[in-house]
Amino acid sequence: MSLFGDVVRYLLDGSHWHGDLGLLPLLGQQLLLSVTALVIALLVALPLASWLGHIGRGGFLAVSVSNIGRAVPTLALLAILVRAEWPGTAYLGPYGRAGVATLLALALFALPPLITQTYVALREVPAETKEAAVGLGMSGWQLFVRVELPLALPLVLSGVRLALVQVWATATIAALVAGPGLGNVITDGFSNQRYSEGVAGAVVVAVVALALEIAGALLARTLAPDPLRGETTERAVGVTA
Amino acid sequence: MRTLRPIRRTLAVALAAGALLTASACGSDDLSSDDSSGSGDKGTVRLASQNFDEAVLVTTMYQQVLENAGYTVPDPTFVDTRDVYMAKFPGDFDVVPEYVAGIGDYLNIDQNGEDAKPVTTNDTDESLQAMQPLLDKAGITLLDPSPAASQNAFFVTKDYSEQNGVTKLSDLQGKSITLAAPPDCKGRSDCEGGLTGVYGIDIAKILPLGYATPETYKSVLDGESQLGETGTLDGTLDDQGLVLLEDDKGIQPAQNLVPAVSSDFLKDNPDVADPLNSLMAALDNQTLGELIAQVTVDRAKPEDVAKDFLQSKGLID
Repeated sequence: MSLFGDVVRYLLDGSHWHGDLGLLPLLGQQLLLSVTALVIALLVALPLASWLGHIGRGGFLAVSVSNIGRAVPTLALLAILVRAEWPGTAYLGPYGRAGVATLLALALFALPPLITQTYVALREVPAETKEAAVGLGMSGWQLFVRVELPLALPLVLSGVRLALVQVWATATIAALVAGPGLGNVITDGFSNQRYSEGVAGAVVVAVVALALEIAGALLARTLAPDPLRGETTERAVGVTA
Repeated sequence: MRTLRPIRRTLAVALAAGALLTASACGSDDLSSDDSSGSGDKGTVRLASQNFDEAVLVTTMYQQVLENAGYTVPDPTFVDTRDVYMAKFPGDFDVVPEYVAGIGDYLNIDQNGEDAKPVTTNDTDESLQAMQPLLDKAGITLLDPSPAASQNAFFVTKDYSEQNGVTKLSDLQGKSITLAAPPDCKGRSDCEGGLTGVYGIDIAKILPLGYATPETYKSVLDGESQLGETGTLDGTLDDQGLVLLEDDKGIQPAQNLVPAVSSDFLKDNPDVADPLNSLMAALDNQTLGELIAQVTVDRAKPEDVAKDFLQSKGLID
């Protein structure tokens, strides 16, 4: 009869996972919503922050502005967008009711970690490395693509991972404007005194957030192997030999 | 310095204990003299309620009639949902403005589990009788229910009503309808369950936009939904071009306003009953609906609306 037992029972009941409003389709909806919002944010943040990091100017402004954005509650932003003439509650394909507003709110929410991490990552590339590259005759573009980007990549990717996990967990607010996703299970459960259902929804969101975090870490490792791992030991051995 | 500290601490503790003893002694003196004289400060009543306009207004009336009766009433605690204050009532709160079926269904689920069969019906007395064991177990006593009943109700636009000749819910039988309602609507016998089961309406979709929220009104006005949920006391509909449909088959449980009092508190303070019962008797749907509209539409302060009304009825000085 304990809440914990009820939650486990709810999650073990296969009928709660399938069907129109089952956990699996809702999970899929929320994943699509989160990834799309992240892609929109990436398209804005990466070029902007990379360029600012490359030229080394305006970064303070960009980081400050996006950090102020961090202070704006996403829920309030969504409420304002939904009541506005545009985007309002317009439906958007699989993103459902108020799809445009929800994507916009979540994308804005993803900007601060992306802009900050990317800008800082590029600024952290050692000045002597860049000077050496310029000394080798590299153009600005070559310097960016061949030197700065590869060195900055691990930090940039960690920003992407952070943003994805944050957006995923926050995407539950879509349910508050009758949109898609696992937030529906949570609001439905708590507003009907079916706490087991509400908590089960929250547990699924949390578990998927962890899974995304781990998947993101593995992906980052594959895309940008840490240059200081493995090779370093060999080099160190070489030096002592 | 260091050696002095423990002594100081002991002294402080002794002083504090002494002060407490004196205070409690004074307290009991005060209480006994109050009980005999029946005037002055009768003690403190702690109120809690939900924070939508109607509940705030009614709670403010509670506060004013109780203060008028000689109680000290700190500003009520307003929370989003019933379960928040019910977790601390009885206990941290003494009196809670409630609705008959609202508290009955809550206690039923609280005590008998998530799938418990509802105990309340469209009939007030029947519901109160069925709830009695639940109230006894929870240590809660209900005072007299008011003739005013804040029931769920459903509205359409005036245009829709005229074009389709719809004035009561049974007129919607067989129609496919999108409903804007709170997220707890699905399956409930006073919402989706009753609309489909009793009225035979095909609820194609429920948009969980809330109870009488701007989102729900907007959705119906935009034509996204045809039917929206609000309350029988909603005084804002007419101005918005919306109209209530009659619940002609009675799917709404009896939601008469009723003061819920901690049974222990009532035993110690029997005098809270009279002013609250008089208040309940003075309220009916029309009166309360107009008062609520003063708050929701005209943005008057609940304190002012409550005070004017209570004075006009002679319920406060």
